[in-house]
Formats: sequence, C-alpha cells, structure tokens
Amino acid sequence: MSLSFLIRRIFGAIPLLFGISLVLFVIIHLAPGGPLDVYADNPSVSPEALEQIRVRFGLDQPVPVQYVLWLRSMLVGDWGLSIRTGRPVLDEIVTRLGPTLQLGGIAMLLSFIVAVPLGIVSAARRGSRTDSTVTFAAFAGISMPVFWSALLLQLIFSVWLGWLPSAGMKSIGDGSFPDRLAHLVMPVAVLSLATIASWSRYIRSGMVDVLSQDYIRTAYAKGRRERGVIFRHALRNAMIPAVTVIAIDFVTIISGAVITETVFAWPGIGRLFVESMNGRDYPMLMGLMMMGSVGVVAANILADIVYAALDPRIRHG
Amino acid sequence: MTSISRRGLFRATVAGVALAAMSAGWANAQQMGGTLDVGLTYEIDTMNVYSTGYLGDAQATIVEGLLAPDENANYVPVLATEVPTLDNGGIVLSDDGETMTITYHLREGVTWHDGEPFTSADVAFTWEAVKNPDFIAESKSGTEVIDSIETPDDLTVVVHYNTVAPDFASTLFTFGIMPKHVLEGQDLNTHEYNELPVGTGPFMATEFERGQYVVAERNPNYWRTAEDGTQLPYLDRIVFHIVPDSNTIMTQLRSGELDLVVKTPYNQAAQIEAIDGLELMVGPLLSWQHLDFNFRNDFLADHAVREAFAHAVDREVLIRAQGGFPEPIKSIVVPVFSLYDDTTPSYEYDVELANQILDEAGYEMGDDGIRTKDGERLSFDFVVTAGNADDENVQQILMAQMEAIGVELVPDNRAGVAYREARYSGDYDLIYGRWITSADPVYSVFYGTDGANNGQGYSNPELDEVLATLEGSLDPQVRQEASSEMQHMIAEDIPSIPLTTNVALITKTTALKNFVPNPTNMTNFVNSAAWYLEE
Repeated sequence: MSLSFLIRRIFGAIPLLFGISLVLFVIIHLAPGGPLDVYADNPSVSPEALEQIRVRFGLDQPVPVQYVLWLRSMLVGDWGLSIRTGRPVLDEIVTRLGPTLQLGGIAMLLSFIVAVPLGIVSAARRGSRTDSTVTFAAFAGISMPVFWSALLLQLIFSVWLGWLPSAGMKSIGDGSFPDRLAHLVMPVAVLSLATIASWSRYIRSGMVDVLSQDYIRTAYAKGRRERGVIFRHALRNAMIPAVTVIAIDFVTIISGAVITETVFAWPGIGRLFVESMNGRDYPMLMGLMMMGSVGVVAANILADIVYAALDPRIRHG
Repeated sequence: MTSISRRGLFRATVAGVALAAMSAGWANAQQMGGTLDVGLTYEIDTMNVYSTGYLGDAQATIVEGLLAPDENANYVPVLATEVPTLDNGGIVLSDDGETMTITYHLREGVTWHDGEPFTSADVAFTWEAVKNPDFIAESKSGTEVIDSIETPDDLTVVVHYNTVAPDFASTLFTFGIMPKHVLEGQDLNTHEYNELPVGTGPFMATEFERGQYVVAERNPNYWRTAEDGTQLPYLDRIVFHIVPDSNTIMTQLRSGELDLVVKTPYNQAAQIEAIDGLELMVGPLLSWQHLDFNFRNDFLADHAVREAFAHAVDREVLIRAQGGFPEPIKSIVVPVFSLYDDTTPSYEYDVELANQILDEAGYEMGDDGIRTKDGERLSFDFVVTAGNADDENVQQILMAQMEAIGVELVPDNRAGVAYREARYSGDYDLIYGRWITSADPVYSVFYGTDGANNGQGYSNPELDEVLATLEGSLDPQVRQEASSEMQHMIAEDIPSIPLTTNVALITKTTALKNFVPNPTNMTNFVNSAAWYLEE
C-alpha cells in the first residue's frame, strides 16, 4: 500500500466520474417529463411566463450546451440553481446533509457494534440454538420491509404508548439533546434493523469459512483458547468479504435513506432526491447523484485500503 | 354503495358548516390561545407567494392582499376597504369603453410585521417587483394589463389598465402585497423574504426549517378585531409540519401530533370517521375533469357522435373508481361559482338512446362490435396523462363504456410535457384531463376560437361573442346572463363533456372552531384569524 497507489487511484477516478456524469445527464434528460410539468394543470400560468422560466434556467438550450453549462457550475460554482426552489443546489444539499449524516451515521455505527458480535457468536456456535435464533432474526430483519417496521413502531410507541414523537427531527421551540434523541430512536432503529441483519450474515459466513481453515486448527493445536483464536487469527480474515458490503452500504450515509426519511419526515438527502425527481429538477438531481457517485468511488478506494490493512498479503502495487 | 354514504356525508357536512358559520356570530366563548399543528403533504419550495409552485397554505396566514376570495369564491376586502365595482365608483371605464381605472382605498392603521406602516407605495412596488423580468416567478399574470399606478396619498391607489379586465382580482394584489421598505433594490430571487416573508397577516413567520416546518406566531398588532371587539387572531401559533408520507400523516393525526390536514388522501379518509376527536369535512375544489373532442376528426366533428358519447358516459362508475369522492358535474362552470347555471342541460346516462342516435346518424354496427361509416371504423386515439393512476383508471372505464355503443378508444398516453404539448396542439382524437382554476376563471382560453388552451379546433363565433361579453364586462347582471348563455351553448355544442369535480377532504380536530373550507387558490388558511380552539 503505497502513497503513489492512492494518488493513482484518486486521479484514476476523475475520468470515471466524468463518464458517470455524462451518462447520468443523458439518462435524466431521456426520462419523460420536464421541470415545468408542475404547471401543466394550471391555466393561469401563461406560456410567456413559462418561456421566461425556461430561458432563465437555460432549458431552451440544446442538451449538450446544458451539459457544459452544468459542468462549469459544478466545477467552479455553486452547482447551479435548483429549478424548484430557485436556490443554489450546493446550499440545498448542505442543508439536508446534516440530518442525513446524523441519522445514517448513528445507524451505521449502531449496526456495526451489534452486527459484528452477532456474526461472530453465530459462526462460533454454528448449529446451536443461539445460531438458529440469530439466523432466524436476521432473515426476519432482511425480509421485513422498512416502511412496514416503521409503521409498526409508530403505532406502538407513538399512538398506543405515546412515548415517542412519530416523526420529525425536533420539536418546535425545543431541539434540546433529549428531544433530538427521542426523535432519533425510531428512525435509527428501523434503519439499523435491516443493516444489522444483512451485515451479521456476511460476517457469519466469512467467519464460518475462516474457522475451517488449517491455520485455525494449528492455532488451537498450539494451545490457544477460543477467544484468542477468534480475535487474533480469525476475525481479521473473516472481515474481508464483509468490508466490501459495509463500504458500499456506507455510501447510503450520504445518499440518504429514502423510505425511512419519508416515513419519519426526516429532512434528509433521500427526500430531497425524491422531491427533485418528481419535479424533474435537473440541476438538483445531478448534484445529488454526483455526490452519491463520488461516495461510491471513495468507498471503493477506502475498502481497498482496509483490505490491505486487514490482510498484509494483499498488496496494491 | 360506499359512494352513496359518502355523498350523504358530504351533504351532512355542508349543512354542518353552514350551521357552524351561522352560529359563529353569537357563540360567546371564543377562546384565546393555543397552537394549531397543521400537516402539509408537500415540501414548501419558497414562502414567496408569487414564485411558489404550490398553493400558499402557510403563506396565507402571513401575507395578505388587497382582496381575497371567500368560501363561495366571491371577493371580499382585506387590505382594501371595499371591493371596487362600477357601482361604488371603484372602477371607472374610459369613455371609449376600452380601458379602465381602478381605485383602491386602503385600510388605515395597518402595519407590517416589523412595525412599519403599510401604504399605497407598497402596492405600487408589488406591481413593479412582480412585473420585473429579473424576478423568476410563474404567477405574473395580471401585471401586463396595467399601464401605470398612481399613489396620490398613502391610502389611495389608482391603477390604470390598458384593457377591461373583469378578472383583475384573481392574482396580482390578491396573492399578496410585498413590503417596499424591505425589498426595494433587493434581488427577489435570493432575498431572505423568500424564507421568512414580512406581511400584514394575522400571523408572523418566525421560523422556517426547510423540509421540516414553518412556524407562524400570533401578530399582536393585527388590524382585524372580532365583532365583539376582541383582538384577532385567537390562536397563539400555527405550525405547518411538512410530512410527505400519507401513512405518517394518518399516524400523526391519530397520535394527536397534528390537528388539521387539508389534503387527506382519498384512500385513507374513511379511517378518520373512526378516530375520536377528529372529523372529516368535505369541501369543494375549483377543479374539473373533462373529456375533450378534437374537431379535426371528421367523425368527432359530427354532433351526433359527441351526443352519443355524452349519453354513454356513466359518471357514477367514474366516481366509484376514484374513491367515491368526486362529484358529478354537467357544466364547465363548477357549482361553487355564483356564475354557475343550474338549468344547463345534461345528458342522461342511456346506452340505448346513444346507440339509437348513432344508428340514425348512419353509423352501422360492424362484425367486430365497432361501428363503421363509409367503410371507416369509429376508432379514436385517446390521450390521458401516463402514470396518473386515477386518470388511467378513468380511461379504462370510458373505453369500456364507449365499447357498449360500438366505439373503439385506443389509449395513447403521454407523460408530462408530451401530454401538455398534445393538449395545446390537438395531437389527439380524445383527451381526458382536468383544469384547476382561480376563483374567477377565464373560459375563453379553453373554448374561444383563439383560446391558448383550445387545442381542439373547436370554434363557434357566437360563443366567442358571448365569451367576449362575459370577459369584457364588469356589470354583474350582464356577466351572469352571458355566463348562462355560455354554459348552455357549450352543453349544446358538446366540445367537451364535463365529468366530475374534485373535493377537498379536510381532517380537523373537533376542537377547532370557525373553520370554513375555502375552495379557492387562496387556500383554507385565508380566514385563519377567526379560528379558535375550544378546550
């Protein structure tokens, strides 16, 4: 793992991102509809007013020209103006990024803390009652649609018990730490549930695989206790397949969780995306999707680094 | 059967509203205070009434115009002291009858939320600001028919029009007046006003968290008082929560976190009746669904064919397919408007009669169940908005209903702009859609020979004359007569079949009193000063 490798990877990503932006730009313009459709049923919006808006946002230009204009604003400016709100795309995204990072970050952290021990226990006690229980719970967690578990939690904790606010990020005029925490509990729980379920499965299978290797038998043979074998010898190797999955899931921290954010009225990136998609807000969509693409590329580079750190045999030349 | 019980409910609710409105006059214990939590289903884009792509629900509690439409879509004075008419001298026609001048007298002692006095200069500024091409906004209509504005004193505004515009009240000045002292010389596209507008309304915008909520606090210096002299508004605060998920809206109503939702999803409305402390109100909406014919098609230019269509449509089925809530209509003027004429002829659902009309007009039934004339089949391309579930359901039903009279409809659905283009240019045989209008719609854009939205190729010079009278006159009597004539002519010509009008399903806490549904584009919140919460 050399610094030059890292630099090469980062520079290598630049043409990739250009390619992605071109494909995305073409795709969103191929999708039927346009940003001015919202006025379609309103006869009092005159054709002249629509034309004025069209010219103002450069929608009257040919698509290749629009791409160049967009690229310029993306590289040197504020990522263009949102057609829906008229505000700079970068401002809008920054406003929404905080809540999304908060929700996604806490959910990821919680998932990691819970999923790793669950996966290990499940693998180490393969076939035991603990393993069956964890496996069953994991499949239940993976199979349960997020919107359904969200509704269930809202029904129990907000409608029946009245303990937690059913949606939103903070109470009006409050916003203290306990208030924010109360608003976080349900969305974090819903978001973590599915993630814990899937991650613990990957860690379990990686672990099961590693535990049957010769070097594990050797470790036992030289008198190590089970705890020592698992943490010193097995875990690092078992994490390698899981790292790929975790790295990709990591991207959702910045691209937002559409369903969870919508159900819990969380003011995050995911909802901004859906709203912009419905309104065909091209500059906003491009900004959001490019941010997601950069996230994916970065997560992949990060995963490569982590591989090398976990397993010294993996060398990136 | 559900539709019948719901319609019964509608009548009961309307009666209830009327009673509530009447009793409000002598109800003695309007209580002060309290917070009303309102659920909005859309993300507010901007708080500026002229550039928002939505109806300004939250804005209507904060920003006021000179006039506002009431629950019957009639204009009442707000910041002006009276609605200008010919009779009261507020409107003066030029000698040649080609142009007009409107004089508004402004209310005395009104102040902006920041304490500055509201004057005629603000009215003139609003016109200049909205007209300015640098300001990106869709609601600019009404600015181009004004030539100049004079402000002889602080409370008088004289507006010189370059034409006679009976719809002068529909957008500009009614949407809202902007404060000159805050916005003069500023960039209206980016100014903080778009987040926290300074208005003259009963509530003041104090907090706007994007994607979360808008807080409107009681304006202690509001100009209006109740009849008993109490300072309005009654409520301390209205909070507009942005809740995009319809299930979550229902959950929050159940848990008591929301008190009022003006757009209850049709498919969830039935649940409301079972929840204690909540009630469902059914209010009218200024929208109507219609099936339009393209007169460039020779068959559809034949009155007999259109008449047969009109008799073959069973609106009850269409209504059931849309949750049972829309109401059937027979006129292009929805019944809410005072210009509606109840004597407009209607075409009863009668398949036999429809078949008979087509038989007599020489359309012979073919072997495949589709009629032909001169060797050509009665088969038409039928455009609705692709992806709109309600519209596509209606399309399926209309296809089945027309098949019963030997007419084939072939779906040719378009999305978004393509649909709009088709509608403007007449690239269809039949098109189904809806119009949502302001409180004083101009019908010539739809049915006039040169109407901007008339893609049908429909032209009736007599109707054009009637429309010109309707839209060029300020005399209520003349307008009422012209409107009746228009409705009769369109019902007889059948350029389009008016099918249904939508309703607004409003869920509110039973504690909220004095709430009267307002169907206009100024939203239900235009009267929020008079609302109060009963413990």
